[in-house]
Amino acid sequence: MIRVGTGQGTQRLSTSLSLSEVLFRLLALALVDAVAIWLVIRMVADGVWLLVTLVTVITLGLNVIFLREEFYPLRWMSPGLALMILMVVYPLVFTVYTAFTNYSDGHLLTKPQAIKRITTGLQNMYVPEGGITYRWVAFQAEDGTLALWLTDPEGNHYFARPGEPLQPARAGEGIFGPPDEAGVPTAIEGYTRLNRIQAAANRELPSIQFGLPPNAVQVRTPTEAAVLRPRFVYDPERDAIVDQKEGKLYVADDSTGFFVSAEGETLTPGYIVTVGWRNFDRLLNSPAIRGPVIRVFVWTVVFAAASVVTTFALGLFIALLYNDPTVRGRKLIRSLLIVPYAIPAFISILVWRGMMNPQFGVLNRALDTWLGFSPPWFSDPMWARLGVILVNLWLGFPYMMLVCSGALQAIPDDIYEAAEIDGAGAWKKFRLITLPLLLVSVGPLLISSFAFNFNNFNVIYLFNQGNPPMRGTPTPVGHTDILVTYVYRLAFASGGGKDYGYAAAITIIIFLIVAAITLFNFRYTRMWEEVSEHV
Amino acid sequence: MERRSVLLTLVVVTVMLIVAACGGGGAQPTAAPAPTEPPPEAAPSPTPEPMEEPSPTPEPMEEPSPTPEPMEEAAAQLVIWADENRAPIMQELAEAFKAQYGVELVVQQVSFGDLREQFKVAGPAGEGPDIIIGAHDWLGELVVNGLIVPVDLGDKRDQFLDVALQAFTYDGELYGMPYLTENVAFFYNPDLVPEPPKTWSEVREIAAQLQEEGKVTQGYVLQVGDPYHFYPIMSAFGGYVFGRDEKGSYNPDDLGIDSEGSIAAAKWLDQMVKDGLLSPDVDWDTMHAMFENGESAMFITGPWALNRIRESGVNYAIAPIPDETSEGKPFMGVHGFMISAFSQDPLLAQAFLTEFVATEEVMQKLFEADPRPSAFLSVREAIDDPDTAAFGEAGQNADPMPAIPEMASVWEAWGNAITLIFQQQEDPEAAFKAAAEQIRAAIAGQ
Repeated sequence: MIRVGTGQGTQRLSTSLSLSEVLFRLLALALVDAVAIWLVIRMVADGVWLLVTLVTVITLGLNVIFLREEFYPLRWMSPGLALMILMVVYPLVFTVYTAFTNYSDGHLLTKPQAIKRITTGLQNMYVPEGGITYRWVAFQAEDGTLALWLTDPEGNHYFARPGEPLQPARAGEGIFGPPDEAGVPTAIEGYTRLNRIQAAANRELPSIQFGLPPNAVQVRTPTEAAVLRPRFVYDPERDAIVDQKEGKLYVADDSTGFFVSAEGETLTPGYIVTVGWRNFDRLLNSPAIRGPVIRVFVWTVVFAAASVVTTFALGLFIALLYNDPTVRGRKLIRSLLIVPYAIPAFISILVWRGMMNPQFGVLNRALDTWLGFSPPWFSDPMWARLGVILVNLWLGFPYMMLVCSGALQAIPDDIYEAAEIDGAGAWKKFRLITLPLLLVSVGPLLISSFAFNFNNFNVIYLFNQGNPPMRGTPTPVGHTDILVTYVYRLAFASGGGKDYGYAAAITIIIFLIVAAITLFNFRYTRMWEEVSEHV
Repeated sequence: MERRSVLLTLVVVTVMLIVAACGGGGAQPTAAPAPTEPPPEAAPSPTPEPMEEPSPTPEPMEEPSPTPEPMEEAAAQLVIWADENRAPIMQELAEAFKAQYGVELVVQQVSFGDLREQFKVAGPAGEGPDIIIGAHDWLGELVVNGLIVPVDLGDKRDQFLDVALQAFTYDGELYGMPYLTENVAFFYNPDLVPEPPKTWSEVREIAAQLQEEGKVTQGYVLQVGDPYHFYPIMSAFGGYVFGRDEKGSYNPDDLGIDSEGSIAAAKWLDQMVKDGLLSPDVDWDTMHAMFENGESAMFITGPWALNRIRESGVNYAIAPIPDETSEGKPFMGVHGFMISAFSQDPLLAQAFLTEFVATEEVMQKLFEADPRPSAFLSVREAIDDPDTAAFGEAGQNADPMPAIPEMASVWEAWGNAITLIFQQQEDPEAAFKAAAEQIRAAIAGQ
């Protein structure tokens, strides 16, 4: 698109496109449309309606944006917007939705899926009381149909074919060949004997009825066959599952997501249901939560704030030190100082763990030799907290150093000259010029660093799993546990397995807390304001 | 405007052509296990292009005797997920299976840590395997989510170790075919400890004596806060985690963490720490390093550590767990084959397990590939490696690790109680009682 600029500003965009540009654009758009349609078809087959709607909306939006000229400015934003909707908005909406359901271990399937799991399948067939269990060997006729040689517990033999009644038979008579040690004929005229695996390889075998219904024999296991009945049957009118073997009725309870009998027994698996505010209730009203959660919350705020302050202070200090271009070797030193940032945190945290072992760790042995004191990093609550902050300092200061180095370049030199003329010393220059100007540009990064450390699961969990443990708490909780590791214990490492619905509810609460703190920080420090207001 | 409509038509036509091509191409990958809903890719394509559904080619049955008749329908196949330890041997067995029966066994390697989670997602989506190889303590989770089906071993049932079968029994039904057992055993250094101790009081005496003589830094070493390695001590004092009912299943209502035996074991631990015989600074790595360096004379570990102990060259011997007021029992972990509830060929999977795998030959091969004591009795009794045999002996009376979902609530609280005792932050009885309260609250809170 060539914008024709006139003196009065552009009112209308020129449409002088070359043919190849047009074709290229159309092909690209057509490709995107084709992929979207293919995706939508697959998703409709799986029943993922929310994604279907999103993808359709996005594709239509893209088409409109690229084909209509009024939306020209949006073209550059459209890929970002599309991805944001798919990767950020959708998971957010899905998490909020999950928080209102009971999605957890035991409730992973939808109701139709659960019904299908309970009422279909080979394991649902049982031998009714008084039924005879036969041992079977399969034979296959030339035309591919199967027949069974059955032996009942008394040793009588029968020959069963689909649609014909069971025929008592003996090996060695008529078409039946000579018997093997089990009494089964080694060959039958017109048939070939199959071994168990060949027979089982036929997917239809379990559903073939050998004999005359309703007394036809079906295969149940690789060795047994019997007259079978389905055990669980779904009754849509009563919305319940009938257990034909025990004579019980399990009614669907859509508030808990189980099929429940009158005595309170449930069938596995359960299914997903929406439960309203129950997850939030559980979180806020559980007596187990009230006690430790305040302490954990306070420590989380302290930990995040301390991490930000220490990493920023150290990073800024080093950046200031090496800001002077006359310092020799600064490039080398700076590269070395980036190393903590470059090594995967996972590995370095574990290495620190080893180094800080009170009895055998390198660090503690050194401290013991020099200071005569070996800090108990893992057993004492205060030292454990200090240890976690120190490790986080080591991990985080290179980032701050980089950021501050960049921001320092942006401060113009003439301001410093003016300050020197006015008689300002180094500390005054730092406090009144460098720091405020730095904070304007680095401020948002500090806020995001705070939010990141508020949820810094890795450092806490890898260092000591949130331990040392607190004594006498209603739920297991440690002194270095932050909100997110505590929540991990509650949602995933306790109860009856993983409770995703509960975890989603907790995630939302944490998000609201972090968002509130962040918003407050932005307002309070007035980060958005112009540079000129501070000079 | 006219130009605009031309452009739009061009776009629409191009889209349709591409969709038709995509749709036709997309039909191919969904060959073998057909998804539950028929893929409606054929429907919306407006251009009447013939959908090429490649008919799954039946395997030509040219192999000699057992299978003279060619299969009429699609070649049956089984998909099995195995981790990196087992995928190679399963691949070998797959070739033998194919040669013998003409059925294809597709081995897909999924790492052990990821297997359960991936199976939970892939199974219901129709993309899962027919068989998985996993640990018995997955049973709680898998059964509660309806992901696996019971296995009927038929006559072969008594060819397996009873404890291993118990481990795979959940709610009275057998949900897998065990093939491998693992448990910890008591390791000691014969140079320092000539005779294996029979009771934990002896262990204490020997440790104290060795430390006094200055031969070791710590006579008996145990890592902090690990309930799995503490259980043998607890059981030796009569403690237990969950009581068992007549069928042998664990009863979540009968929690034994605060039982007399468990508290007695906790007190023993507390006394050891107070007397300087156990240190709160020892973790898993340090524990092994100390034994390998000769700084410690006795400890408990499992077959996974054999390699590193052998490599270190330290003189070692393996013995069953010492007793005290009761028999000292380790936890037993059992690995086995489980059948997916979403398998299209459950009968074939079952037949594969009972007819092909549950034979001495195949079980022997599985054992050779991963030398942990087999759950198949004839192979287990014929083990000639003395170390593996020793592990097997130590596990003869083992308790299967509880697989019920409530067990997830236990580990954390139990581990914390042990840590608190090690760190001398809490009285042993109070610590275990508090842990039991936490666990009961967690179990009730579901």
